[in-house]
Amino acid sequence: MSTAVAMKPAQRLTGFMPLIALAALVAALTIADPDFLTQRSLIAVARTAAPLIVLAAGATLVVLCGGIDLSIAALASLSTVFLALWLPNLGGLATPAVIAVAAAIGAVQGVAHVLLRIPSFIVTLGGMAILSAVALVVSGAGTVRVVDDSPVHWLDLYLGGYVPMSAATALIVVAVIAVVLRVTPLRSWISATGYSESAARLAGTPVDLVKIGAFCVSGACAGLAAVMLVSRQFSGGPTMADNLLLPAVAAIVVGGTAITGGHGSVWRSLAGALVVTLLRVGLPIVGVPSAYEQILYGAIIVVAVALTLDRSKVSIVK
Amino acid sequence: MNALEVRGLVKHYPGVTALDGVDLAVRPNEVLGLAGENGAGKSTLLKALVGLVTPDAGTIHVRGEQVKLRSVVDAANHGIGMVFQEQSLVPNLTAAENIVLGSEGPAVRRGIYRWDVMRRLAQEQLDKIGSPIDPLARTDSLSFADRQMVEIAKVLRIEERSQHPPVVILDEPTSVLESKEIETLFAQIRRLREFATVIFVSHRLDEVLDVCDRVCVLRGGKSVGEVAAAGAVPRELHRMMIGSTGSDDHYHGSAATTVVEEQPRLSVRGLSGASFHDISFDVAPGEIVGIVGVHGSGREDVCRALFGAEPTTAGEIRMDGTRIDLPSTRAACAAGIGYVPAERKTEGMVGALSVAENMTLAKQQARCAGPFVAPKKQATLVDSWIRRLSIRTPGRDTPIQRLSGGNQQKVILARWLVAGDIRLLLLDHPTRGLDVGVRSEVYRLMRELAATGVATVLLGDSLEEAVGMADRILVMNDGRVATEVPCPTGAKPTPLDLVKEMV
Amino acid sequence: MTSEVVTAPRRQSRRGAAFRDAGPPVALIVIFAIFSALSPQFRSTDNVQNIVDAAAVLAVVTCGITFVLMMGSIDLSAAGVMGACALTVSLLVANNRNDNGFGLLGIAVAVLLGCAFGALSGLALVLLKVPSFMATLGMSAVGLGVATLMFAGVQPNITDTMVKGLAIERFLGFSYLTWIAAVCVLLGWLIQRYTRLGRYAYAIGGAEEVLALSGVKVKPYKVAVFALAGAFYGLGGVMVTSQLGAGLVQAGDGYDFSAITAAVVGGTLLTGGRGGIPHSAVGVLLVMVLTNGLVQVGVSPYWQGGVEGLIVVAAVAAAVIPQRRRNQVVK
Repeated sequence: MSTAVAMKPAQRLTGFMPLIALAALVAALTIADPDFLTQRSLIAVARTAAPLIVLAAGATLVVLCGGIDLSIAALASLSTVFLALWLPNLGGLATPAVIAVAAAIGAVQGVAHVLLRIPSFIVTLGGMAILSAVALVVSGAGTVRVVDDSPVHWLDLYLGGYVPMSAATALIVVAVIAVVLRVTPLRSWISATGYSESAARLAGTPVDLVKIGAFCVSGACAGLAAVMLVSRQFSGGPTMADNLLLPAVAAIVVGGTAITGGHGSVWRSLAGALVVTLLRVGLPIVGVPSAYEQILYGAIIVVAVALTLDRSKVSIVK
Repeated sequence: MNALEVRGLVKHYPGVTALDGVDLAVRPNEVLGLAGENGAGKSTLLKALVGLVTPDAGTIHVRGEQVKLRSVVDAANHGIGMVFQEQSLVPNLTAAENIVLGSEGPAVRRGIYRWDVMRRLAQEQLDKIGSPIDPLARTDSLSFADRQMVEIAKVLRIEERSQHPPVVILDEPTSVLESKEIETLFAQIRRLREFATVIFVSHRLDEVLDVCDRVCVLRGGKSVGEVAAAGAVPRELHRMMIGSTGSDDHYHGSAATTVVEEQPRLSVRGLSGASFHDISFDVAPGEIVGIVGVHGSGREDVCRALFGAEPTTAGEIRMDGTRIDLPSTRAACAAGIGYVPAERKTEGMVGALSVAENMTLAKQQARCAGPFVAPKKQATLVDSWIRRLSIRTPGRDTPIQRLSGGNQQKVILARWLVAGDIRLLLLDHPTRGLDVGVRSEVYRLMRELAATGVATVLLGDSLEEAVGMADRILVMNDGRVATEVPCPTGAKPTPLDLVKEMV
Repeated sequence: MTSEVVTAPRRQSRRGAAFRDAGPPVALIVIFAIFSALSPQFRSTDNVQNIVDAAAVLAVVTCGITFVLMMGSIDLSAAGVMGACALTVSLLVANNRNDNGFGLLGIAVAVLLGCAFGALSGLALVLLKVPSFMATLGMSAVGLGVATLMFAGVQPNITDTMVKGLAIERFLGFSYLTWIAAVCVLLGWLIQRYTRLGRYAYAIGGAEEVLALSGVKVKPYKVAVFALAGAFYGLGGVMVTSQLGAGLVQAGDGYDFSAITAAVVGGTLLTGGRGGIPHSAVGVLLVMVLTNGLVQVGVSPYWQGGVEGLIVVAAVAAAVIPQRRRNQVVK
């Protein structure tokens, strides 16, 4: 093992991939539509991106641990329903309550994954079905209107008149997660768990707690994303956030976080989420029918996973 | 003409020379034994013979003709097949499918199975070795010994493929068999000799001498000699395998601490688990206790159980007189227990993380101030250990996977020392795959730690290592402690004394 | 004098396997008996016919996914593939959007399209080494996108009497779709039992590395298995179109998850190498009886997905209990 493991050029490139893609997209969109680089459309992009950033940031932690959380979108949908239902009674307390409940649901899935030894994707796939069903039942399969949205109205305000509050909040969430990981042993624990769970465990890392924690944060982020959605749409709905699952997964893998675990960061997912959002708002600008959006997500996910995969780790890919 | 001949085979792995010019000749219809210590190059040689390893230099000749073996299929086409140590059968297929797998021939026409033909083909192979196994039985419903028969039958199918008498390699075939099953296997080998050539590898020298015509000994990647089995005794073979142990103090025996009788550091009573039963022993502070045993003796699992990584069903563990529970590895860490796993690359280190992170992974408090990582504290700590253990690394932030094996192992050892709270070290093959020089350094470190009162449980990479390092040796056999042998410097038992208890 | 660590291969418990094989059919009978006792409506002949007819599409989709699960892979692409194939068939047979009227040929093209989607997933798996759950998640999105493109804002209502009749007309009390499903199950069982593709899919789930060691080139078989699964989804899409009388993008909504549930409940392990088509057929009936029964006793139909989610988690958990080890890695 004395040979240095040289960084392949392709690997080095993937490190910058999200930033390159972001710059290229902005440039392309500006050329296609000179109006794109205006305050109005940039604010629109920021507001659209906010819930996606938050969702992706939370789920990134799970991916860093080597798992995946497919329930985030369904959990966010359920949270919009809860929020819309609780706002009239709980008022300002509804927001923290929803985030706490979402965090608890995430933690329950984490516990199921760790204790029952079920692969995370099947736990969260099952969770997705269960949460969707609960949302349907609780909401009576219809949209729940929010009459008085003052407790969540702050998210619709603008910081300094320009920066949407929701986007600022999303940024703060990413920054807080990143800083906490950086200054505490958590980062070592999470990457060790993701890179090599057995080695981490045999070094006394609290692998189970780390994983449950990741799912818990992922759940809390889904709850916060739900608050942002409700503040924009003045309602909650049982399928409101369902179409955010693919963009969120795409954001994570486009950012360059390896689906095999260990390698990546929440900053990357932020860049990834911006790329995905730009694609979303940019396609109509370039004149591509929005139906291609789905196809693009699918292709992006496959290609990005292929590029960021830690091939040395997986000899047999199932 | 030799059935199989190897000339000057060389294979380098990064940092280690596995084969250093091996010569070997196998005559037709003989049973050749291959003996050698761990790391002597046996498994690399066998892998080269079946095309799993491409040698860097040297040639392989089959029936006088030089061949290049690129894959197992290639080797099979030349009539060489191997019964692998860890069985290579698909458990959920029938025995017949396993026997013909990859060369179904007439048993599959246009993708459609013809079960009757397949059954017949498999039966032909099973008849060669006179095995009564039902070809259509599911493989995982068969006993281990029966599965081995299936595997031999599978290998024998190369006879039809290559149109020549086959060369059958048996890699440690007896390691998990009961003595009666071993008898059957040996009868089988004698039967094989009628129409095939056999290379037999085993760590049980008496067996090798029992069943082989001739035994070839490997040491340090070279063939160091051969003996005719008739009339030879295991002791003679063993001497060849070990070679003349240098007079230099490889194991730093002079630094061995004398153990004073006091309260034991570790006290295990009646510990039982899935693969071990009623294990009791003590380890005093500063003492090194070796546990030896063959495959499946359960010693690795005992070691893991002491680290909370393997569930136990009964028994108690005391550290310095206090009873402790080990529900998790974390609890073991907190109790001052450290573990160096045998599989360094997959279980010991986190390859992509830095030297510093690997070194502080288990004892985060050593680099933290409160809940936060203190970069300066970490730098000082890690650098001081890099110096103390003379770890050769470009820097503390280098990913550990770029270091050589020996330096990786030193980082993993340092992991348990950084906080200075280590009381018991569990070392599972700590020198596996390391060069002689690095081994010696690891031994010296073990002596130093013992001198500071750290208790050590050692699963040696070889018997010789266990004997050399340990103050006392537990011999495990079939999940139980068979006997306990004192092993003080100057009055060491010979490895052969221990082998008798192991089997 | 070696002493290496090689864990002795554990002898498998046959009794455990037999219990697992017998479990789902027994559960099916017990659940059926319970609901029959609870609800007279449930045990009516009409309702039993209903259950079997409603199971048809799920049975076909589950046939496909079972082969993938047998290999130890997973397939989340059913919904997208079914959507694309539903639109394809509805635009190729007689419909209100264009003058096509290819009939059976249209169905064949739709099935082939499903096959192509499956092959693409398989290629992404073996060539790009993208784990199957990611590759198929992406492929599902692609399928939905293709379907949306073909939908183009105007719902294609089919006028082809043959295709529409499949869901309506009955033979021996069951709809033609049910008979198609029965043929698919039989076909799937034959493939699993008597073809190299089926046996190798099974073997790949058992010990892929051993196949490679024996000189079997695994990759083409993996792609072929995904393609086969895709063909089943394609047929499933056609069947849904026949039921709805129109091509919808959402034709496959929920079938991906229901099919995984059915296969897992029937006794197919997610780790591969166990179970098979007969198991899955039982699983499909179990899921259908359970969801239908719950509705009959008054539970809101919205819970259907939730019930499936619970039983899939429970079934997977039950399957891994015997194999649990302390230091086992579960991703």
